[in-house]
Amino acid sequence: MDQGRNWAVVATVMLSAGVGLGSAALVGAQGQVVQAPKFQVDPLWPKPLPNHWILGSATGVAVDSRDHVYVVNLPTSFNARTEIGAAQNPPTGECCFPAPNILEFDPAGNLVGSWGGPGQGFTWPSSNNGIAIDHRSNVWIGGVSGTDTQILRFSKAGKFVGAFGKMAPPTPSAPAAAAAPDTAYQGVSGAGRGAAAGGRGAAAGRGGRGGAAPAVAANSSSMDAFGGAAAFAFDARTNEAFVADGSRNRRIAVVNMTTGAIKRVWGAYGAKPDDAPLAAYSPDAPPAKQFSTVTCAELSIDGLVYVCDRQNNRIQVFRKNGTFVKEAIIAPQTRGAGSVWDIAFSRDAQQRFLYVADGMNMKVHIVDRQTLEPITSFGDGGRTPGQFFAVAAIATDSKGNIYTTESLEGKRVQKFLYKGMAPVTTKNQGVPRDDGAAR
Amino acid sequence: MTTRRNLLLGGGLVFGIAALGVGQAALEGSMQGQLVQAPRFEVDPMWPKPLPNHWVFGNVIGIGIDARDHVFIVHRQDALVQGAENGLELKLSECCVPAPPVVEFDPEGNVVGSWGGPGEGYVWPASNHGVGIDNKDNIWIGGNGAGDSHILKFTHDGKFLQQIGIPGKAADSRSTEHFGRVAKISFDTAAGEAFIADGYLNKRVAVLDINTGAVKRFWGAYGNAPSDTTLPAYDPTKPPDRFFRTPVHCAEPTPDGFVYVCDRVNDRIQVFRKDGSFVKEKIIAPLTRGDGSVWDIAFSKDAAQKYLFLADGKNQRVYVMDRQSLDILTTFGDGGRQPGQFFAVHSIATDSKGNIFTTETYEGKRVQKFAYKGMGSVPKNQGTVWPKR
Repeated sequence: MDQGRNWAVVATVMLSAGVGLGSAALVGAQGQVVQAPKFQVDPLWPKPLPNHWILGSATGVAVDSRDHVYVVNLPTSFNARTEIGAAQNPPTGECCFPAPNILEFDPAGNLVGSWGGPGQGFTWPSSNNGIAIDHRSNVWIGGVSGTDTQILRFSKAGKFVGAFGKMAPPTPSAPAAAAAPDTAYQGVSGAGRGAAAGGRGAAAGRGGRGGAAPAVAANSSSMDAFGGAAAFAFDARTNEAFVADGSRNRRIAVVNMTTGAIKRVWGAYGAKPDDAPLAAYSPDAPPAKQFSTVTCAELSIDGLVYVCDRQNNRIQVFRKNGTFVKEAIIAPQTRGAGSVWDIAFSRDAQQRFLYVADGMNMKVHIVDRQTLEPITSFGDGGRTPGQFFAVAAIATDSKGNIYTTESLEGKRVQKFLYKGMAPVTTKNQGVPRDDGAAR
Repeated sequence: MTTRRNLLLGGGLVFGIAALGVGQAALEGSMQGQLVQAPRFEVDPMWPKPLPNHWVFGNVIGIGIDARDHVFIVHRQDALVQGAENGLELKLSECCVPAPPVVEFDPEGNVVGSWGGPGEGYVWPASNHGVGIDNKDNIWIGGNGAGDSHILKFTHDGKFLQQIGIPGKAADSRSTEHFGRVAKISFDTAAGEAFIADGYLNKRVAVLDINTGAVKRFWGAYGNAPSDTTLPAYDPTKPPDRFFRTPVHCAEPTPDGFVYVCDRVNDRIQVFRKDGSFVKEKIIAPLTRGDGSVWDIAFSKDAAQKYLFLADGKNQRVYVMDRQSLDILTTFGDGGRQPGQFFAVHSIATDSKGNIFTTETYEGKRVQKFAYKGMGSVPKNQGTVWPKR
């Protein structure tokens, strides 16, 4: 009797959590049981950082051919008073120091490399964002502050290789609406009440809107500079890079990987890009004719370019020449920063699945790549393993594991172990954890 | 000219002290090979279970454990990053909404109760702070916001019982009518007394009758009459302050007749007899500035309470100390957002099995469990304490 009552309580809690305990497998249109990759968070990956280093807003993740995981984070995203006391003068405490901008982990989660920040011969972006590794083992870094107009390339060990895009002189008269940096993505806490309450009265150490340097105007027609490049994909065969450009511009730019020359650009639906201020997203309005913040560009094995149009909550798919193929709206009720933050492909030969990082709904969507139908999702809001705050970037390794980074105050990198294919029993799996694991 | 010389002198002193600190740290590092016997802990990365209903915590600002080892936390609902963290509350997204202010977990980490917020007959604090659980499993709550000069008492499941003190009052460390932003409440049930860390506005320990709420006695640093005088910023080169600084952040009585007080920003524990007479003090990480090093105290659950566990939200660690000698045996924890790491570890409590539970404020926003693993040999600084794979 007692036991029965307890079970009833448990079931209620589970249901309200959206776990849907006991619900049958989802069935597809042809009556087949729907299968999807299954994941489980590894709560002890990566290993603790050395030297009292802490990770700032983590805005990008990439995995190289050896399954080393590269994370880019923002050393400017800390609260000086409460978070990095050891770095003050005089120090206010023994912890903590900002970790270097770029961290490299081996598959076991050991930190095996770290570099980044200002140096000789280049201007480090004022808000580094996005990281990608090309077939020549060069590491590409973007920047999404109001003044970042370049893409930087380094060796994996952090040696400067070259910069693409002209440094643009600031234009103080730039229209604010079009040129304001993308605060949600670059890891700057919301203004006003949020920042004050979240940090309890300490807003120090934050950049963002209204910062010192006047913003550069968006110019999606420019053929010699970028406007907040956020992410990159590469086509080794044609020597082309696809640039999500980005936080001020509203376009995909295709770049010669050797010279940096911009070869072609396009906006939403493959049309000429449009930098006009975009009306706030409404689920009731027809899909916007232009891009919002463009936060990813990913090239599939069959030659399609998948683009994250973040605040428009959509994925747009193109041929490499910019011809529009199709689009899908993900979580169409999402407002604010939007639902489509970053995309990674599953590692099967067909890349059957898209994994979409959704930093506004605090989850990862698992999407059928061909149909663009969301199949299921995992994750929820929170600070414990397998939960998210502003999951901003996503990547997969050769074994099919997923890595995510969290921006804003999430400030983590997490690993989700690929556990094979499994029947889908719920649209929302909640936190993917193994409560039966040997502990 | 004189001013300038003084400034230079001050800078030189500070620099010298800082250099000394670095030297000490290096010395400690070289002694890492040296092991000590101490209670050993490992974080449980899967505790608690995920919250239901897309709930998230703001600053988790107090913790208490009841007779059944249920863990109660209090957090600040308004401390979410607006528009990014509370999308469901603002109808922007599917996640998240703040959990109710008080959440109760069973020992397995399931949410089994939740309540709190404004109601009939009392003034809910402007800024929640501290949870105390008395011998009847009643829940006492302080507050450190504007106008929080009172204490609230609820039943275990959130039924309002009593408002102690008058809300809306200014600082007065000699008042028997009200308090000044109470940080925490702890109990000497044998004597029928509640010990109030009072607080963020007042600078005293106050002792109440646990049933009536009447103020029986109070005292300041070294057992002197408390003073509300504003002090200059903490300076490690100066002699110890004659007064408590705000916040007086904990006041923990023990069955053998002592009270351990967190004088947070002064980086010290002061120990008193229960009548308020001063016994001794211990300075912890004296170079710590800003928020200070002495945030909260819990005791080991052996009959003698042999060990004292001290949460240091500035240096991001927990000290394991010998309660009698106040010697630091070992520390665990480090800065970060992974299991077993801390951002502003604020509150600490132990359950009947000797496990430690911590909460984090600012953007830590977590409750964590550190499982007691028995006595063992550990280094002086353990760093992040993870379970073996």
